[in-house]
Amino acid sequence: MLTRKQLWRAARDALLYVSLCTVTFIVCFPLIWALSTSLKPKSEIFATPPTLVPRTLTFENYEALLTGRQQYYHSGPQTAPSGPTPAQFFTRWFVNSVIVTAGSTLISIVISTLAAYSLTRFRYWGRSVVPYFSLLGYMVPSIIFVFPLFLMMVRLELTDSLWSLIFGYVSITLPFCMWLMWAFMRSIPIEIEEAALIDGASRYQVFRQVVLPTALPGIIAASIFAMIVSWNDYLFGRVFINSLDNLTLTVGVMLFFEGTHVDWGLLMAASVLMTVPMAILFMALQRHLVAGFGAGAVKG
Amino acid sequence: MRRLHALLSSDRAVGLLFIAPFVVTAIVFMVYPVVEAIRMAFYSYNPLRPDLSAFVGIANFEFLFSDPLFWDSLWQATVWTLLSILFQTILGVGIAMLLHRALFGMAFFRGLLLFPYIVPTVVIALIWRWIFNPEIGVVNYSLLASGIIREPVYWLSTPTMAMASTIMLNVWKYTPFVVICVLARLQTVPLELYDAAKVDGAGFIRRFIDVTLPQLREVLIVVIVFRTIWTFNKFEEIYLLTKGGPGTSTFNLAVYSFEQSMASLRLGVGAATGVVMMIMLLIGSIVYLRITKFGEEVR
Repeated sequence: MLTRKQLWRAARDALLYVSLCTVTFIVCFPLIWALSTSLKPKSEIFATPPTLVPRTLTFENYEALLTGRQQYYHSGPQTAPSGPTPAQFFTRWFVNSVIVTAGSTLISIVISTLAAYSLTRFRYWGRSVVPYFSLLGYMVPSIIFVFPLFLMMVRLELTDSLWSLIFGYVSITLPFCMWLMWAFMRSIPIEIEEAALIDGASRYQVFRQVVLPTALPGIIAASIFAMIVSWNDYLFGRVFINSLDNLTLTVGVMLFFEGTHVDWGLLMAASVLMTVPMAILFMALQRHLVAGFGAGAVKG
Repeated sequence: MRRLHALLSSDRAVGLLFIAPFVVTAIVFMVYPVVEAIRMAFYSYNPLRPDLSAFVGIANFEFLFSDPLFWDSLWQATVWTLLSILFQTILGVGIAMLLHRALFGMAFFRGLLLFPYIVPTVVIALIWRWIFNPEIGVVNYSLLASGIIREPVYWLSTPTMAMASTIMLNVWKYTPFVVICVLARLQTVPLELYDAAKVDGAGFIRRFIDVTLPQLREVLIVVIVFRTIWTFNKFEEIYLLTKGGPGTSTFNLAVYSFEQSMASLRLGVGAATGVVMMIMLLIGSIVYLRITKFGEEVR
């Protein structure tokens, strides 16, 4: 027999989980709806009443994006526009996004790891200023320095190249990678390194075999944040790149909106494909992500 | 031991070698652009005719302060920021309390609730335009079908609703940030405090006001200041959803700066707007530092 107290507690827990599920559903609904739309054939996308679970499952939107076939983009009520369509560039943009994200993250992480090690293990003038300088750096919104940076790229003749984006993203990700790596390195006890040095290991060996493995969780957290920021950015891609060939996903997909007919199925498929890489990263490394939030090193 | 420390700090060459890439990169890609942005604010600069660039003193700022759109943008940015932060804080604390309570499956829910943070703003803006589409969007359909509204709501094409839609997008995306920070703090609140309050006969609401809120005070101040600074300067969340429209009804300073630079090719005016934003940012940061220092004294 349940006592009254147990009943009361069960009811309270039930209410708790019901409200949690409701909140979770509301939070996830836009994404669920996007996924659902992307898997529907044209006729069902505009059906009333709308269906959450597609009655007919189709992968034609994904196929159109991945193979770049034109007919799906042109199959609307409007006459077909001549020239290339955004769907034809999708895989290319995807590769571009991967290149600039990987490139800028790699540069930021290498630079900030080396710098954090130096700041926490050596003594010289100004070493206490650098982390706070970085903190200030990631407060400055990118809209302020995107145009000066663009003019600099013009002078370096790097505009419309992926290099301009890689350098641009280094300038936004480096400050908080620096801050996070510094906070992390500072928390690693120095004694192990001292022991290794006494045992006759070289500075280089200590760094590679002792410091790097211990700093790995921090490196992972910083990398995830850097990747999210670079992958999701729109502003730099919009300002730096002019040619269709060199666009990244975020700027490219917004081009799907040009013209009179918007293909919602295709757009939602593109949205899903853009979210998937970060979602996989996020799920695989969620533990580290939460740790990073805790360190306060989040840009957003 | 002391000799060892001396050894560690003596080989300066290695230390300086390791910090050098950061210093160089920071100067070239962080310091220089910001200094250049400040310099540009005092120049007239048209990217199509760089040869005509000239020092104009404070003319860009005069232009700015006499432009009604600048003041509109400032006001709209303020409304946008205040409402976003208000909802983010209330929802953030609420969801954090829920997550804190649930023991079984909490990791699962936490994972899902953090998800919006990693979704690209472009994707959210696209999805928003799709589900809030007045004719074929699912939101209007549901509201009409359930009888809450009689006529379709024009979410993105009337000034008030466009503002509301951008706020919703912002709240949806950044509430997880508040949840994480509050949740981390909640987990360190000593349980004895609640037990004591229970013994004193305090109900759920009294316990929340008298025990939980005071404990959350510091983390909330930090979160609110940080989020205010960032929200005030957001660009993509507004531009991608409404392009600042309809008309200029959702312009904030970042969108204003972008439009001045990109559409009107007045890079000097855009940079001057940036300088105004930086000054506000600086004030915000000083407030933040004051507050955190204040917190230390109390402790």
